[in-house]
Amino acid sequence: MFDKAKARVDARREARQVPPPLDPEQAAKEAHERDKGLTKHHFEPHEHPCVRIEHLMKTFDGETQVLTDVNLTVWPGEVVCVLGPSGSGKSTMLRCINLLETPTAGHILIEDKEITGHLPTKEVNKLRQNLGMVFQSFNLFPNLTAKGNVMIGQTKVLKKSKEEAEAEALKQLDAVGLGDRADFKPAQLSGGQQQRVAIARAVAMHPDILLFDEPTSALDPELVRGVLDVMRDLAENGGMTMIVVTHEMGFAREVADRVVFMEGGVVVEQGTPEQVFDNPQHNRTAEFLGSIG
Amino acid sequence: MKRICKRILSVLLVACALVLAGSLVAAPAQALTTEKATARPNEDGGSGVIGGIPTRLTWEGVVEPGEQIASVTLMLPDTGKFDDSTTKVTVLDGLNRTPIEGKTNIAANVLGVELSEPAKEGYKLRLEIEDTVFPPEGGDVVVNGTYTTADGSTKDLAPSKPISTISNTWVQQVVTWLDQQPWVQAWNSNQFLGMFLKPQLIVTSLFSLFPGWLVCLGIVIVAYPFAILLGLVFALMKLSKFRVLRAIAVVYINVLRGTPLFLQIYIMFFGLPMMHINIDNNVLGVIVMAINSSAYLAEIFRAGIESIPVGQYEAAASLGMGRLMTMVHIILPQTVRRVIPTVTSDFIMAFKDTSLLSSVGVMELMMFAKNLTSVSGNMTPYVTAAIFYLIVTLPLIKVVSTIEKRIARSERGAGPRPKAKAANDEQVDEETPAQENGATPEASLASALSAPFKAGTSVFGGVADVR
Ligand SMILES: Nc1ncnc2c1ncn2[C@@H]1O[C@H](COP(=O)(O)OP(=O)(O)OP(=O)(O)O)[C@@H](O)[C@H]1O
Ligand SMILES: [Mg+2]
Repeated sequence: MFDKAKARVDARREARQVPPPLDPEQAAKEAHERDKGLTKHHFEPHEHPCVRIEHLMKTFDGETQVLTDVNLTVWPGEVVCVLGPSGSGKSTMLRCINLLETPTAGHILIEDKEITGHLPTKEVNKLRQNLGMVFQSFNLFPNLTAKGNVMIGQTKVLKKSKEEAEAEALKQLDAVGLGDRADFKPAQLSGGQQQRVAIARAVAMHPDILLFDEPTSALDPELVRGVLDVMRDLAENGGMTMIVVTHEMGFAREVADRVVFMEGGVVVEQGTPEQVFDNPQHNRTAEFLGSIG
Repeated sequence: MKRICKRILSVLLVACALVLAGSLVAAPAQALTTEKATARPNEDGGSGVIGGIPTRLTWEGVVEPGEQIASVTLMLPDTGKFDDSTTKVTVLDGLNRTPIEGKTNIAANVLGVELSEPAKEGYKLRLEIEDTVFPPEGGDVVVNGTYTTADGSTKDLAPSKPISTISNTWVQQVVTWLDQQPWVQAWNSNQFLGMFLKPQLIVTSLFSLFPGWLVCLGIVIVAYPFAILLGLVFALMKLSKFRVLRAIAVVYINVLRGTPLFLQIYIMFFGLPMMHINIDNNVLGVIVMAINSSAYLAEIFRAGIESIPVGQYEAAASLGMGRLMTMVHIILPQTVRRVIPTVTSDFIMAFKDTSLLSSVGVMELMMFAKNLTSVSGNMTPYVTAAIFYLIVTLPLIKVVSTIEKRIARSERGAGPRPKAKAANDEQVDEETPAQENGATPEASLASALSAPFKAGTSVFGGVADVR
């Protein structure tokens, strides 16, 4: 009880130390300056980033500081791969973006709209519709079929008709190569198939941004490929904005516009895959890449 | 039930008959007036007259002034029988027996008595006909007949007052048959078998306890949907983020789970009438059972809901689903599947617990058994009651274990396989709590589900407490 109150006070103090979010125009300009050499993304003139993370801080239970000061911008259509050792706060950052975790301090802006601070529940739900998330452990709904999993968000959240939702679901399942498994329950699918259904479920909501949290880490090695192929297809042909936390270096090198290396709750280094993999600027990055092989 | 009604009816009829007797007697100009036609009860341990089984018919008629009677013929309905009857004929002059004798001749349902000399005015004719068999279909039996006066003219007797009889069901026939079997007699001569497993009583009590069994079933079947609804409401209240709702739910659940049902029954059945609230016993029984079960169900549901991995909430949230929507479309459907076995075993419990209602006079199975036991002085009705309880509970116990197996099988392999060891060893050990939750090996779920029926384990944090 006492600890909780103290934690709240601490959090408020931390929040006060963070400067207010930048003005959109200025922020866009600054981010452009900073990022233009670090990504393969093709900038449009006067483009604004679709995700802006400024001085993000996250503390659990008032003690364990997981994110100390994360700054990151993601541009529309960009594919950002986030690397880093276990416990560096990658998942926490990703979960802060769709408010599965409440940031302790700092700002997150989606399409120049601040989502940190006190957001009404309705707004939160609206925001999450726009941010698809794929989990390490799939989190399919075991009581629904593959098709049902893909349909439920459309019918209940987007209020689409059943026929419309079904057509969309079949289309998305086809796209991930599971058109013939539409009526299977998750328990009857392999891990890789389940993860592809989970991707179809997220994509069917037509979000602007997709968040992936180690989508292949729970999979048998031979199933990883199918999932990565689906993701690559989304990135290259779908033009989807994607933030991917992954340990798949091959995927990051081939697909990412930008690679971000995180450690100890901060972004240590970022750059194009070539810059980060072939010529890392920080010792820790080199060590990490070396250890992964 | 039917039989009881009939008995009440017959009592009423007799009462009416007595009232009407005086006026009827005087009515027609008869030479021989029917005064009485009764049958001796032949029901085992009862006072009914059963058709199809031999009994004694007693018929009395009085000779009217100025008349003389030479012979009498009695007639039963077509399906009645005098075939094996032996008749004792007595002719009374006031209180004295006269030496007049009778000679009987029998033809199926007709029995004629020829007197050795005519009965004179004021004489009373009494026929005691042993081994008369009334129609097996039961109902009110009227004894008709004719008489012949001394001058040779034959007239119809006035119909007797109806004798109410019980139909000779196949149950009665079975009992009669059992009565005659040497093995049954040997069986019953064993003190234990005769006291607890008397075949005749098993057969009859199966039928007489049946209404009580229906009452038990009726009470739980009506009560249970309400219990489920109430239980769900209190489960959701207990999981609510509002402290007041949580507190109300906790008090409700703990008080009801922490006190004996017996006490709750007493409070409701004796307390409400004191407040001048009078509710039908059966309805009140339903209410008490529903309230009591709802507390247990609330805990089952609460635990069931909490057993759904966080990942499910997160996945729903990431689709933009609100709390209520997530509850209704994602969490509750999964909870239902998981709690079915536990709920079923609670249903079994509730069904058995209806027996406590007998203590406050609800006419349920135990009550019938208790009554029959005190009438017959034999414990067999209790054994029959046990059979009735088992008829419901055994299949349900089977259902529970079948469903458990099926759920365990269908959920096995759901979610991520605990794998990925080889791929990236270091992070497997350090997954975030949420991820770990989602990836809990299904084996633990299976064991949790089967826990209620394994001694010493508790499902979902203690809902499997013994009541
Ligand atoms: N809900 C929580 N409560 C307390 N601590 C938490 C919570 N979630 C995460 N942490 C801690 O935050 C730290 C960072 O966790 P996070 O999951 O973000 O790491 P990660 O970079 O995703 O690691 P991995 O590669 O293993 O997934 C860990 O030390 C973890 O113990
Ligand atoms: Mg992680």
